[in-house]
Amino acid sequence: MTTNREELIVEFKEHLIKYLNLLDLTPADIQNDVPLFGEELGLDSIDSVELIVLLDREYGIKIKNPTEGRQILVDVNTIVDYIIANRTK
Amino acid sequence: MYIKDLYAISPQKTHDLSFENGEWQVLNEYIYKAVEPSYQDLIPNAQLRRMGKAVRMGIGVSLPLLGRNPKPDGIIFGTANGGLEDCIKFLNQIVEYNEGTLTPTNFVQSTPNALAGQVALLSENQGYNMTHVNGSLAFESALLDASLYFDNYHGEEKNLLVGAVEEISDYNYNIDRLGERFKEELVSNVDLLGSGTKGSYCGEGSTQFYLSNNPDNSLAEFKAFKQSSYLSENEIGEFVKSFLDEQKLDTAAIDCLLLGKNGDVSTDSWYEQVEQLFSGKPKVYFKKSVGEYRTVSAFASYLAVRLLNGQAGYLIENGATEKPRTVLIYNHFDAVRHSLILLQK
Repeated sequence: MTTNREELIVEFKEHLIKYLNLLDLTPADIQNDVPLFGEELGLDSIDSVELIVLLDREYGIKIKNPTEGRQILVDVNTIVDYIIANRTK
Repeated sequence: MYIKDLYAISPQKTHDLSFENGEWQVLNEYIYKAVEPSYQDLIPNAQLRRMGKAVRMGIGVSLPLLGRNPKPDGIIFGTANGGLEDCIKFLNQIVEYNEGTLTPTNFVQSTPNALAGQVALLSENQGYNMTHVNGSLAFESALLDASLYFDNYHGEEKNLLVGAVEEISDYNYNIDRLGERFKEELVSNVDLLGSGTKGSYCGEGSTQFYLSNNPDNSLAEFKAFKQSSYLSENEIGEFVKSFLDEQKLDTAAIDCLLLGKNGDVSTDSWYEQVEQLFSGKPKVYFKKSVGEYRTVSAFASYLAVRLLNGQAGYLIENGATEKPRTVLIYNHFDAVRHSLILLQK
């Protein structure tokens, strides 16, 4: 299990690319503080469900509250911070 | 039903008309994969990254047709398996994650009607939308549906986008290979029909037609079609003759025969029986170009329209007729499901 934050960021981005089929991107292309659901990556509501599945499968985190989800799924930084605080695996 | 426009993605270079103009791909593969165009200018990236191959090919064929023709009144597709690769991924996830949290994309993309739905969404088409999944007669069922649709509108012009799609997935290829549908040994498609062994080679592709009940400026007409399951081999000749009788035609009226002969020694004899009825007629063995798959009759229809318009004449064997006026397609799958399609210019 990766505990170093920087390593976790890279690992999360690799999962993000795989789960969301962002195959023309590398982890370096995804900025940590750019909103995932803005124009940069152009993610949509289906992607948000894919992200919830990613967090469940890879880190044992279940997001059930939509309000909570909106605060977590903002950018790479907010998600990785949440993973560090809440991961069960 | 009149064909106003058509487009295909297939194991040959049909997407840029190289195939029609004489560039024939020699295939030395177990799997005849479709030659796909670049979709970047056609499909938004956010949607393209989610699409399985069947949906991608289907939309890749649909959007160019929709872009150069008026909005159709309906969309009717046929597919035996739809996005099977995504379907299997989804089913495996159900097992792997113990029926827990599942990703929506594989599910959304894998339903057979995902293609027709996405084409409608992308083109903002709220008309009739139907997907037929009748196995190896799925395309024929789509044609029948289109014909019934047009029957409701005598005197009122209606247009439909009608077609078929099939993708090769590892799963269905392996199952079909175990069922001896595909050859264990490798033979070039040049020599496919003389291979002398069981099975054929697996192909894939998407073919679509812009159909109208208005004959003006049409490329050809789907004059008639007929399907049957569970014929016996000694009934196939009568099946063909009765079809021609219904159209008030005899064998002499057919200028060119398109046969689904696929190099499988266990079932090619059916085609040979039909060939005997049309002894000496020009013919095209279309599976040498694209292999075997369950909606391959859509590709055969595509090729027939090209032939009727003086294209791809190099594919006609033992024929002097480079531009036929009446073409008959006979295809069967597993010698169980049989179809006849008659096209005229």
